[in-house]
Amino acid sequence: MKIKKELIKREIAGDTILIPIGKTIADSSGLFLLNEQGAFLWDIIPAAETEEELTEALLTEYEVDRETAEKDVREFLDRLREMSIL
Amino acid sequence: MTINREEPIFSTYLHEKGARFGIPISGNFELTAGCNFRCPMCYVREDSASCREKELTTAQWLGLAEEAVRQGMVFALLTGGEPLIRRDFFEILRGMKRLGLLVTINTNGSLIDREAAMRFAEDPPLRVNISLYGTEDSTYLRMCGQPCREKVLDGIRLLKQAGIDVRLNVSLTEENADDFDGILRTARELGVHIKASAYMYPPVRVGKDAASSCRLDPDRAAALTVAYDRFRLSEESFRLRAGRMKEIARRTDGAAAGLSKREKKCRAGRTGFWITWDGRMLPCGLMTAPVAYPLKVGFTAAWEQIKRETARITLPDGCRSCPKRDACFICAAICSAETGGYRRSPEYVCRMTESVMHRMADAAACGVTQRENAEETR
Ligand code: SF4
Ligand code: SF4
Repeated sequence: MKIKKELIKREIAGDTILIPIGKTIADSSGLFLLNEQGAFLWDIIPAAETEEELTEALLTEYEVDRETAEKDVREFLDRLREMSIL
Repeated sequence: MTINREEPIFSTYLHEKGARFGIPISGNFELTAGCNFRCPMCYVREDSASCREKELTTAQWLGLAEEAVRQGMVFALLTGGEPLIRRDFFEILRGMKRLGLLVTINTNGSLIDREAAMRFAEDPPLRVNISLYGTEDSTYLRMCGQPCREKVLDGIRLLKQAGIDVRLNVSLTEENADDFDGILRTARELGVHIKASAYMYPPVRVGKDAASSCRLDPDRAAALTVAYDRFRLSEESFRLRAGRMKEIARRTDGAAAGLSKREKKCRAGRTGFWITWDGRMLPCGLMTAPVAYPLKVGFTAAWEQIKRETARITLPDGCRSCPKRDACFICAAICSAETGGYRRSPEYVCRMTESVMHRMADAAACGVTQRENAEETR
């Protein structure tokens, strides 16, 4: 999956934020705050081909049931698409 | 959590967090002391050739920024003087963005031509703050020594066309106060936010006193402050604010308050730092002390020192026990710039606060109902 925007992931006192660099204009919220799972997914998105791969990875890393993992992945990707990041 | 509605919520959130952990969330980099304008209230501009030689290099600025980013810095303000007179300005902007900083720029707007706007579009900052000094060439000439009205307005339009967020910063002095209505109208026409201030710090950093800065007398400054509040606040918010001021004015008539332990602290030296054009670190650019030298001791050691020394600053007893305190904009930088220290309350600020309070109380007298007051306290 390809990330369209140039964003850098940074960690500030336990929070993970994405900061736009290059031509991307920071929107009114300026940056994106990721939760722990979001930060985990963010790192593996570029190498993943499908949504299922992300779900599997989430299942291995966190103690969640399949249904929740699928939902979390879908919601996260939807949000990235909404913001034209994916 | 205190919410400053002029800033996005994530910024407030990060600063609150930064305050808890002593992280330098935001930093101001004063890239140069040089400027093509000559404003009387300027506390930075010095343009001898020797100043130019003392300015930090591109590599030094980016090096400091890199160290600061490692300590958690997120927001950078590039200011001056006029930062765009540096030939390497866009190189610095790009470099800072690549480090993962959200960059805001303070500029007088007179050097933003088509090419500059294109370069801003290549590396869009979070926002560009443009100082608008007037809407007439005559005002510009008086205030800045250059009839730059058109250039500045063009600069604003070009940036907006490039999709860049622009805010107008307005400093009011004797030279341009008469043009304030025009400035407000222009802001509305351009559809940009405006931040105006009628209080000018004495430019002590450049060895000048308040008298030479053309600042307004406190009563006129107060009148303009109230006019600006009327412009920027909704009718409802204005009335609430006026009601609050009226209440403070009423309390002030009674006995003096006890010494307050609660210090309203700003971000300077807690989550914010300032680096001057010649490489000194200060809590805030309007202060002259405490000072640290990050190029000598490294960013982190300098930041630790600034934090430690800022924490020791307290306002004068007169301010800490002042019943008007909640209506007043006093801060450590103002106190030291006005009085040279922290022992005396600054008279100018007292007078301006008094006048704002009574003007607002008068406004409240014609219209704030009990019900609204009750709603506000909920
Ligand atoms: S434009 Fe800004 S930096 Fe230049 S002289 Fe005026 S106040 Fe100083
Ligand atoms: S500056 Fe004056 S009005 Fe403001 S808090 Fe101090 S004593 Fe009170």
